[in-house]
Amino acid sequence: MAEGFPMLLAGFFAPVEIGTTPLSLLWMFPLLLSIAVVYKATRLRVLFWKQFVLEVLVLFLTLSGFMILAGVVLNLLVWLITS
Amino acid sequence: MPTKSNRPFDHTFWLFLVAVTAWAVPGGGHFLIGQRRHAYVFFAAIVFTFLIGLYIGSIGIVDPVGAKPWYLAQILTSPVVGWIGQIAQKGDYPVYGRPQDYGQIYTALAGLLNLLCILNAVYRAYSGIGETIGREEEHG
Repeated sequence: MAEGFPMLLAGFFAPVEIGTTPLSLLWMFPLLLSIAVVYKATRLRVLFWKQFVLEVLVLFLTLSGFMILAGVVLNLLVWLITS
Repeated sequence: MPTKSNRPFDHTFWLFLVAVTAWAVPGGGHFLIGQRRHAYVFFAAIVFTFLIGLYIGSIGIVDPVGAKPWYLAQILTSPVVGWIGQIAQKGDYPVYGRPQDYGQIYTALAGLLNLLCILNAVYRAYSGIGETIGREEEHG
């Protein structure tokens, strides 16, 4: 525990290792969640937690679904062009 | 919270104050106009996004000289980013490859999301939305 905080702080001074694997694409999901949270908060005039969480979840899933679909379509296009 | 009628200063100055506060602290503009829940959400989302970006790419990704277009978006997060940029310029922090790309995307997007929050806070202050629902929202 005592080593945890300095280690975390040191993380800001050296880049994290991100490989060139399909798994690295998972980094887009926190970003999509952040976009969904901020966008929904700007749209709601009054913020009720339950309704807000539900709307964020729907938007996050929509964005994620669209991004996955876009990835599949682009991969198919590349496969068709190169094969 | 001051309303239009009892505010001791000009409405234009009030809008300017909301904009500057929203830029200085993400969510600060909404906090000023009484929309506390919005303020907490914006602060948490934007600061968290920016910190994830810094953690992925190291503070070297805030580069006011070598990566000016990215820096212009990053500085929208808060003036604190300028201070981080100064630190990054003095030190020799490794920045490369995918972590750099991901870090720049995260931090720049945090800035652009804060721009959205600034505009939203100014619009709400201009149209008086915070004044009419501020108290109601706190108890809701």
